[in-house]
Amino acid sequence: MKKLLRGILLLSTGLFSLTGQVQAEVAVIISPSSDKTLSQAEIANIFLGKDKSLQGIDLKDWNQTKLTFYKEITSKDEAQLKSYWSSLVFTGKGQPLKEFSSDSEIVQQVAAGNNVIGYVDAQAVTDAVKVLLTLQ
Amino acid sequence: MNKIMLIILTCSVSFSASAMDAGEFSFNQFGTAGLSHLGGESDGQSFGIRGQTNDKWRGDQLSRYGAQLKYGITEEISVTGLLLTKPESDEWEVEAELLYLSWQASDRLMLRGGRLRAPLYKYSETLDVGITYPWLRLPDEVYGQIQMSNFEGADLVYTVPLEFGSFNVQLAGGQAVDRNLFMADDLFDIDYKEYRSAVLSLDTNSYGSLRASYNRAEMKLNTPLAVLDGNKGQFGSISYQYDNGTWFTSTEAVRFTAEGNVMSDSDAFYVMGGRRFGKFAAHLTFAQLDAENAGIQASTTYALNYNIRPNIILKSEYKRVDTRGGFAGIFALKADELMANGMFAMSGGTMGSAPRNFDGDIVSIGIEFAM
Repeated sequence: MKKLLRGILLLSTGLFSLTGQVQAEVAVIISPSSDKTLSQAEIANIFLGKDKSLQGIDLKDWNQTKLTFYKEITSKDEAQLKSYWSSLVFTGKGQPLKEFSSDSEIVQQVAAGNNVIGYVDAQAVTDAVKVLLTLQ
Repeated sequence: MNKIMLIILTCSVSFSASAMDAGEFSFNQFGTAGLSHLGGESDGQSFGIRGQTNDKWRGDQLSRYGAQLKYGITEEISVTGLLLTKPESDEWEVEAELLYLSWQASDRLMLRGGRLRAPLYKYSETLDVGITYPWLRLPDEVYGQIQMSNFEGADLVYTVPLEFGSFNVQLAGGQAVDRNLFMADDLFDIDYKEYRSAVLSLDTNSYGSLRASYNRAEMKLNTPLAVLDGNKGQFGSISYQYDNGTWFTSTEAVRFTAEGNVMSDSDAFYVMGGRRFGKFAAHLTFAQLDAENAGIQASTTYALNYNIRPNIILKSEYKRVDTRGGFAGIFALKADELMANGMFAMSGGTMGSAPRNFDGDIVSIGIEFAM
């Protein structure tokens, strides 16, 4: 019985944490010194390699933040983006964005560069960067 | 099989996902391991752009492997080489499919020179990278029209970002000499001189992509069956593709014309629609080739794909093909049958044999990856 209760507790904890992840907000960030205002479509162009006027930087792992960002901005999932970038890489018309392992590295890179744009979990945003858009 | 998967997964670690800086390089690879079988035709009859699909389960029509290395000389200038290996006449042949220098002159303009892909069709520039399109075998009726895949020369790619996507212009020029032409169940040398191409495409983020290309070349061919001495060939393609993450469609119509009466002018198209169900994707394609004064080939393809991983897809297809009007279509017409048909025409039907129709059921299965 104790095992069963522990199991239910673990399962409910897992569900809560999953629910927490799904509801996480994603912030699209840029350097505070930048005067750029970008629409969702313009952000999509940067992260799909169509607009090179700003340097988009990416999260390395497909965590909930990355999934939410790409689903909201480009309506594509991981498999569709792999296919999309394969087209660009093997036609020589694009090179995937630079990738960083954590939100804090993305914040650091965006804060340091005037033309750099990234996305992070909204809770990782600091005063060193400006939020362009928040996604859920 | 497990070892192959392990190698693929290990190699995926080497997949560079970085933008190119001076002194950096990226290594990317793709491949297909696939089998295809033609049923319902006479023994030994073959089908396909190189006649590699017949009544044996053969892997040489679909299987290939490519490795691409790109090196950044400066932040704007890079060199790219792509080695492609695939079976030809029972042997695996390795070729430098691409080798070019690229200069990103501005955010919008890229200039390239060297051996480049000829941007004839919608999927020409990723012809061997199966993960970039839904089929295991591209619709033969359309993609069997022009056998040239690359050329030596230069191109210009200009991209204009728009509020809703991008507009792209590509201009290319050069030549492709000593290329293979598969005809009458055999390979011959063909030259494409004075090759010129212009491509316009509009890629929208929500409403799909529209693309049009115009290509021309002067063809030189000298075989016992046919001679081309600088005959001008023209090829045009218009295509539309849409994918909202659940539903997807792709359609392309092409027209080929050639001076002289050696090659038939032809029109071809395909219409494809499909839907994703989680990791599965099912799609249906109708394709038709209409060769003037020759006949018609039509096919229907039913396909089911499964994403094993985001960059590894298991694909399966069943394709029903029929020709009419005494037309071989993409079936490989053997030299003796071609001669018999010729004698029949010249003798007014007293000698040789009348051209016949062909039909078949093609089943294909394979795994494709890119990393």
